[in-house]
Amino acid sequence: MEAFSYLLQGFETALTWQNLLFCGIGVMFGMFVGVLPGLGPAAGTALLLPLTFTLEPVTAIIMLAGIYYGSMYGGTITSVLINTPGEASSVITCLDGYPLAKKGRAGAVLGIAAIGSFIGGIVSITGLVLMGPIIARQALKFGPPEYFALLVLGLTLLVALMGASLLKGLIGALFGLSLAFVGQDPSSGFIRFNFGETYLTNGIEFITMAMGLFGLSELFFNAEKSFREKAEEPPKVKGLLPNKDEWGPSMKAIGRGSILGFFLGLIPGLNSVIPTILSYSLEKKLSKDPSRFGKGAMEGVAGPETANNAYSGGALIPLFTLGIPTSPTIAILLGAFIMHGLTPGPTLFQTNPTVVWGIVASMFIGNAILLIMNWPLAGMWAKITMVPFKVLLPIILMVTILGTFSIRNSLFDVGVMIFFGILGYFLKKAGFPLAPIILTFVLGSLLETTLIQSLTMFEGEFSKFFTRPISGTILSIAIISILFSIISSIRGKRISTGDVEM
Amino acid sequence: MKTLKSLGLGFFLAVFILVCSGIMFWQAISMGYYSEYGPGPGFLPLWVNGLLIILAVMYLIISLIKSDIPLSKVFPKGEGFINVLVSMGAPILFLISIPYTGFVVASMITLFFLFLRGFKWYWSLGYSVGLSIILFMIFSTLLRVPVPVNVLGW
Repeated sequence: MEAFSYLLQGFETALTWQNLLFCGIGVMFGMFVGVLPGLGPAAGTALLLPLTFTLEPVTAIIMLAGIYYGSMYGGTITSVLINTPGEASSVITCLDGYPLAKKGRAGAVLGIAAIGSFIGGIVSITGLVLMGPIIARQALKFGPPEYFALLVLGLTLLVALMGASLLKGLIGALFGLSLAFVGQDPSSGFIRFNFGETYLTNGIEFITMAMGLFGLSELFFNAEKSFREKAEEPPKVKGLLPNKDEWGPSMKAIGRGSILGFFLGLIPGLNSVIPTILSYSLEKKLSKDPSRFGKGAMEGVAGPETANNAYSGGALIPLFTLGIPTSPTIAILLGAFIMHGLTPGPTLFQTNPTVVWGIVASMFIGNAILLIMNWPLAGMWAKITMVPFKVLLPIILMVTILGTFSIRNSLFDVGVMIFFGILGYFLKKAGFPLAPIILTFVLGSLLETTLIQSLTMFEGEFSKFFTRPISGTILSIAIISILFSIISSIRGKRISTGDVEM
Repeated sequence: MKTLKSLGLGFFLAVFILVCSGIMFWQAISMGYYSEYGPGPGFLPLWVNGLLIILAVMYLIISLIKSDIPLSKVFPKGEGFINVLVSMGAPILFLISIPYTGFVVASMITLFFLFLRGFKWYWSLGYSVGLSIILFMIFSTLLRVPVPVNVLGW
């Protein structure tokens, strides 16, 4: 009950005209990012982050969170109408969404996807309301060894699951971690690896690196296509509701997708694609006639679309309660918290309840706005795909440059961003996953601080991590997961996911 | 073993990572591994970069004797190649020219080359001038970002 009274206070914060306006801008930009193929939620969030400097912290995070969950809605429209997923988690929607659209049922598909996304989003935010404070209270009992173990587990799961090659994932993770060492040592204040450059005294700016690795490299990738290609005209959207006999199976799929997506969101290292694949397989398995899947089954859209939105809410729990991001977009949100002087983690619920509950409440409002924008206005959004890349590239590139410059009013940062953009392009070409680089970079300082504090406590004996039940168990799981991944790699049966959410 | 000409992208990335981690490892040695209070500033960088050197060497060997991505397949061919080069070169050009020309002129030159990939030159010129002025108004006047300017104040 306590959580709900806080939530009501949160609505008070979220319903101010300024927060409502920026929530609307956030979800609209999220929709825009989701609809546009080639610009993912991580790049979109990074792009707008510098523009939030002048805003109140709560307003800024409300807007940036809106981009994150808004993009999950947007990707659906292009998947259904022109068979082109706007972002990775909507790939599976093409399988049944597009065949249904070809049969003239685009309106019904977009309707059920919007309803599913809304329910999935609301279920996961309710989960956040109920579970967030409980997890945060438990996490307050954690000492540096437990925190260190949790960070190691998160990163090993990420490396174990991300990308086709374990070696490349490990190199990426360690490379990101070593970049985090640049600047002042968090414990002693010693300046490290700045190579005499004063701009590097405070380290490499996180947003600069994220904009380069995710935003700029993605633009270079998209530039490979011909600029003269004309976009496909999306079909007209007619009818907004499914048939009577489709409601029952679709609602069951939505229910299953909500629960599946929410719980998968809590696991570090997963991404929004996994819940959609699992939900699709589950629906196909439970269906009376699995042969319909791939030809136009409504449940094949309802389940995965719900799961990816439920995932995005669930993934915020580790960020809010432990300060641990589970995906690149969440890492950028973490960067936003830090940039605005907030520290996500167990104390956030106590020290900044207005901010936390304001953001949570805004997500209910944002999801309602998205439902309206997706359902009756889907046809209008689909037209955005008609904006040619030859117009978008120069605008996005220049806004990215100006956004990066505005962080510290430094041309050096712009140079760093260009460097990481070009490096990111080549790393992607060579099959390196970029998510481990950014996540180890953002967690590097916390990882080092907790390790040093723990080792000081243990008088230098690393084995003492295993004498504490929680840190010992978590570190053992981390070791098992990485060993399992090594064995799977050697046997050639490695289970991995692509580098998505870019 | 491969000849210098047949070396692929993996080889060059492995060398890049090896050089970076090697320099950081070397510097970490002199930073103090352990102090009287606990681990020193060189403790974790030494371990992380040491491990990174080992992994980079493994990747280098794999790139040399097993599979690698040929440099000819890294970039697209024809128009796509020029698009990528212009997209990479334009922000570099902006960075080099802005201290001398100020934001508006540097932005106009950069945008002109980018728009030129998809539009006729006169349209490109018009768009780049218009967009540069709009961006200058938004960032410099409205958001008060102190973008570098020339003697004329733009």
